[in-house]
Amino acid sequence: MSRFLLRRTFSAVLTVLGGTVVAFVVMRLLPGDPARLVAGEFASAEAVAEQHRALGLDEPLWSQYLIYMADFFRGDWGFSYSLGEPVFEQFVRSVPATVELAAAAVTLAFAGGVIGALISSYSRGGPLDAAVRASSYIGLGTAPFWLGLLLLIVFFERLQWLPGPEGRLSSSTAAPPPVTGLHTVDALLAGEWATLGDAAVHLILPAVTLGFVIYAFLVRMLRASMLELVREPYILVARSKGRGRWGVIVRDVLPNALLPAITVGGLVLAELLTSTVLAETVFGWPGVGKLVTDAILQQDFAVVQAFIMISACLTVACNIVVDLLYGIADPRVRVRSS
Amino acid sequence: MRRTRRALLRGGGATVAAAAVLGLVVAAAAAVPVLWPHDAMTTTFGSILEAPSLAHPMGTDGVGRDVLARFGEGARISLLIGLVAVVTGALAGLLIGLTSGLAGGAVDEVLMRVMDALMAFPTLMLTMAVTISLGSGLPSATAGVTIGTIPWFARVARSETLRITALPMVEAAVALGMGRARLIRAHVLPHMVSVLVVQATATYGSVILSVAALGFLGLGARVPTPEWGAMITEGMEPALTGAWWVAFFPGLGMLIVVTCTSVLSDRIRDVLDPRGSFSGVKGVT
Repeated sequence: MSRFLLRRTFSAVLTVLGGTVVAFVVMRLLPGDPARLVAGEFASAEAVAEQHRALGLDEPLWSQYLIYMADFFRGDWGFSYSLGEPVFEQFVRSVPATVELAAAAVTLAFAGGVIGALISSYSRGGPLDAAVRASSYIGLGTAPFWLGLLLLIVFFERLQWLPGPEGRLSSSTAAPPPVTGLHTVDALLAGEWATLGDAAVHLILPAVTLGFVIYAFLVRMLRASMLELVREPYILVARSKGRGRWGVIVRDVLPNALLPAITVGGLVLAELLTSTVLAETVFGWPGVGKLVTDAILQQDFAVVQAFIMISACLTVACNIVVDLLYGIADPRVRVRSS
Repeated sequence: MRRTRRALLRGGGATVAAAAVLGLVVAAAAAVPVLWPHDAMTTTFGSILEAPSLAHPMGTDGVGRDVLARFGEGARISLLIGLVAVVTGALAGLLIGLTSGLAGGAVDEVLMRVMDALMAFPTLMLTMAVTISLGSGLPSATAGVTIGTIPWFARVARSETLRITALPMVEAAVALGMGRARLIRAHVLPHMVSVLVVQATATYGSVILSVAALGFLGLGARVPTPEWGAMITEGMEPALTGAWWVAFFPGLGMLIVVTCTSVLSDRIRDVLDPRGSFSGVKGVT
């Protein structure tokens, strides 16, 4: 097991380094001179050259990369010109909003995915199964920013049931005392029920938007593996021993179908990272995604570069964890790979 | 070939419907810019944000342009970019995968590590990085999404190459003195075409969504261009004050194209590769 772990970690570290090299090289080919940005539009040629040296831009590319990576792991992610503060601090401030949104979205998606897959395998080939399949196709074919806008049109503009794209709280509501940074949790801890309600109401549409893509992905995969399991001999045995259809699906099929679901953890995370950028932008949700889109509009690429680096690291880290969990959950994987 | 075609059609209502609806969008892309009297770029300040009517079946946008005309142009852009990106990505991936699989050793190792590094990003991030570094615009966005598809094709092509070259028939062909070029042409390529086609159709929809996402983020098509993603960005403000049609139709177009291609793609996979098929499964429950 420890050899499996070691080899896996080693190859993952290689991949992450490769990913950062790609990100670095691609972003260094950027049009525009960062030194010019720092020095200001009207700075003299000497001042720009001075800044060029100060930023280490006259070093060879490989040494620039090493410096960038060393800084990156020390938490120095560069300076954001559009907001006038270090990139790292902006990320720290934006992460809780994104975590809150992503947690709500994943919870919804997972619950929906399991329920959908159960319905599908119970009424396989029937109209309900067809509806679940259709919903999965639609979820995978919908641009999250468009779905978010549709929800806003229906529930905000027409019905006026839910708030518009104004972020995490109404302007009249003060943020709860920060503990975790998640407004819903903090309000609950502080016992501020009105704030909790306001935060929850603001969370609904963004979470549904973000969750729908993940749901579509999960339900498709769960349905496929459940339909395969249904053909296994052990199900026949369970049935012949008198367990009902529902009983078999819930108690014998579902647990074994959930196990492979771990393996797509990395894909789910990648999907989350991508879609959160789009969903947050539509809803004005002040998380990491919105930070990045605002930075793109401002041509402030230090922020974008940091985000791309983090995405690469997170995705690879998630893939390692998934592999390890899977190795623990299913001994066959371990044996086969060694 | 005829057997395959018949099998595709036997796929039932969903497959036929998907093909028909996709055909409609393709027809719209071909016909609207030519036949529809309104122009996609002409602004008419007398008719701003008009609701869908007989004169403007999809309404007009914030500067009085006909949304149907823009929808048709947008369909052209999306369908074409999707095609260009998938075909280019597939060819590049095929080349890399084939080289990797045939050469083996260090070449294989290096190429596959590079592909792994590219796949370490969520696809949109890689696409974003490439697009930003090339300077935003539709051509860069196309290049970005194309590069995003290459590693997936390369992986499939490599594993197919390894599978095929291990077949007894290839061993026999080599024993009979067949050269490498002929081997690739006669055995390797024909046997991986179907898998690549499946991968290509499955990628097509996601490429279209990525291009639109880049347009929405302001990295793809520039504003007056009637690209679907950029049209949604333009339609956001009007949508929140009642004019839903500006953003609604481009998004609907995307949904239709992507959903239909993935239904078709799943059907094609079931036909070409019966191993992964779940249609007509008979279980005991």
